[in-house]
Amino acid sequence: MDLDFSKEQVEFREQVRTWLEENAPREIRPEMGPAMREYDLAWQRTQWEGGWAGISWPQEYGGRGLSLLQQLIWFEEYGRAGLPGIDACFVGLSHAGPTLMTRASEEQKTYHLARILRGEVIWCQGFSEPDAGSDLAALRTRARIEGDELVVSGQKIWTSFATLADWQELLVRTDPEGSRHHGISWVICDMHSPGIEVRGIETIEGGAEFCEVFYDDVRIPLENVVGGLNKGWSVAMSTLSFERGTAFTANQVRLASTVEKLIDLAKERTGPDGRRPAIADDEIARRLATARAEVASLRAMTYAGISRNMHRDQPGPEGSMVKLFYSDVAKKVYRLAFDLLGADALRFVSRWEPGGWSGNYLYSYSVSIGGGTSEVQRNIIGDRVLGLPR
Amino acid sequence: MDLLPTPGQMEIASLAADFFGNELPISVIRERRDEPVVVDRRVWSESAELGLFGLGIAEELGGAGCELAEETLLFREMGRRLVPGPFLPTVLGARVAALAGQHETASAILSGKAAVGLALRRGPDGFDAATTPSTLDGRFQLLDAADSRYVLLLDPAGAALVETAALTDVHSEPAIDPGIRLAEARADAVPIIAWVSTQEEPIRLRALVLTAAMSVGIAEATRDLSTEHAKVRVQFGRPIGVNQAIKHACADMAVRAEAALSQVLFAAICVQDGRADAEFQALAAKSVAGRFAVENASATIQVHGGMGYTFEHDSHLFLKRAHVLEHLLGEPADHLARLVAQPAAQ
Repeated sequence: MDLDFSKEQVEFREQVRTWLEENAPREIRPEMGPAMREYDLAWQRTQWEGGWAGISWPQEYGGRGLSLLQQLIWFEEYGRAGLPGIDACFVGLSHAGPTLMTRASEEQKTYHLARILRGEVIWCQGFSEPDAGSDLAALRTRARIEGDELVVSGQKIWTSFATLADWQELLVRTDPEGSRHHGISWVICDMHSPGIEVRGIETIEGGAEFCEVFYDDVRIPLENVVGGLNKGWSVAMSTLSFERGTAFTANQVRLASTVEKLIDLAKERTGPDGRRPAIADDEIARRLATARAEVASLRAMTYAGISRNMHRDQPGPEGSMVKLFYSDVAKKVYRLAFDLLGADALRFVSRWEPGGWSGNYLYSYSVSIGGGTSEVQRNIIGDRVLGLPR
Repeated sequence: MDLLPTPGQMEIASLAADFFGNELPISVIRERRDEPVVVDRRVWSESAELGLFGLGIAEELGGAGCELAEETLLFREMGRRLVPGPFLPTVLGARVAALAGQHETASAILSGKAAVGLALRRGPDGFDAATTPSTLDGRFQLLDAADSRYVLLLDPAGAALVETAALTDVHSEPAIDPGIRLAEARADAVPIIAWVSTQEEPIRLRALVLTAAMSVGIAEATRDLSTEHAKVRVQFGRPIGVNQAIKHACADMAVRAEAALSQVLFAAICVQDGRADAEFQALAAKSVAGRFAVENASATIQVHGGMGYTFEHDSHLFLKRAHVLEHLLGEPADHLARLVAQPAAQ
């Protein structure tokens, strides 16, 4: 049991901090649209040029191949610097890229991985469908084989950044006889292909990154199948073992600094009695303290998870506990922010603007839904951590 | 950085766990519910021989020379097994006596000849941080003081040890938890025989961490109790754990236990290393672990249905002890007030 970082790790932290201070984008991130795409890609390019792209990617694929503790340090400093998330680059860097490394052919890896790292392309995900959400294996988007092409028809939904994306990791049913998990293929789809139509879905916070994608006889070369025809389910599942507990660290650090900002805000703002500062209100003070205790626990949980993963090759299912606890705490924190503002919270300020508490409050409803709902996380914890009967 | 206990640290905890399993199984609480003390003197002496009271005390002061980390793991085992008796005030009292240079007192405690009960002050905290107090006054609630030669008082300004016999108006009270013994008492200019100020030693932070460690043990034990029941209890032809209403309740218990354990281990290291945010982390640990122990124990009663409402089952013992731990070192609301007043974590 120790919290000591070695001399090299402390120097590494200094190095990361200095580099981020000198190179992080100074401009405010534009709202959803082509300017945001350019902003996110430019920042990824800067990281590539500085030698910081793909910090958890193995060196053979052009990444930094950092140790778990170095990754932790990077994400902590990244979060502390108040930098925006890797939003539009997320699927490429943390999902499609790692899947390609594990299951793609040499040609596919050579073509795509470097482009992701260099900040040249945006990837999006094509998994969920209107009738296949948590039950992903119920997906119905069909692909029939014609010569050396797949011809895709169907619909995907909840695809973030589809309007900005170049490529998509797409799950399609290639064997109509195959039941559920069988007969699915994982395909690299060019988002500029004819027959693709993308429609935006406005979210409760007025956000525009959500999309639905329609496929009308979209032709995709058979060579774009990854990991073998009809074997897509196992390809999709192989991505999960890539994440070893560091990736959400930046979000947690951001949440911790949000709590600190709220404590400052509660000292400045007048409280519910209209006379004293909000922090003098017992209920608000207790909720702030509870938030502090819970974000501290979240960080300790992440440290515990990383410590556990340092002693084994494959991460265990405990990551679901961090995800579930994070969602719970984040929703409480943004609800507290909303309550702190009193009637001022009724004035809408988007989360992209300074003081965007109302926007962030609405956005917080997505954290217990996206990336596997909290109910699915509870099933995973029950089945795989506790060994309860299915 | 490695937050997890080493195999060596786990070995110490598991030796203690075996001893508790043999000598102080949970059934002892029910068997001795009408006795004036829960832990008899033979078991108390054996605990001393095992070195449990001085685990975290330096060797030159008569202890085993381990750190707060090892003590934390020991108290987590005690929480898990609902070990009764005044272990917490005895471990802390031995430390206070040793650090105050009261070697005879320290050795009487460490050898098991004298136990230390806990005194909870009724009314506002009494000691002035600027001076060294020589006497104790006021009204107190006593825990497990019946067969204890000393009682320990933990104030924000420091920790004081006094002789139990010097207290007046001592009368026992029925306790919600059959695993503790409760009494009320007064002190009128009772001499303090050992005093350690908060400036000299973060004894209160140690107490917060060790109490939180017992809460973690309760959160873990109730998670396991519920999970086991959910696997074996069959209704409608299937184990009840297949139902999400039960499965998700167990999953939530697992998350609370994991969060509390992680934070308590983190806080133990911060206090042990004297980090600037030690108080922040210890208060966070106490707050999270205390609350989650109560929530897990409550959920366990519900998962067990009618059985969970019986005295014969262990669920209520966990719930009651979880509540006792919430009130040992100041009220939860007071901890939150202190936590929000801290500078940000490191």
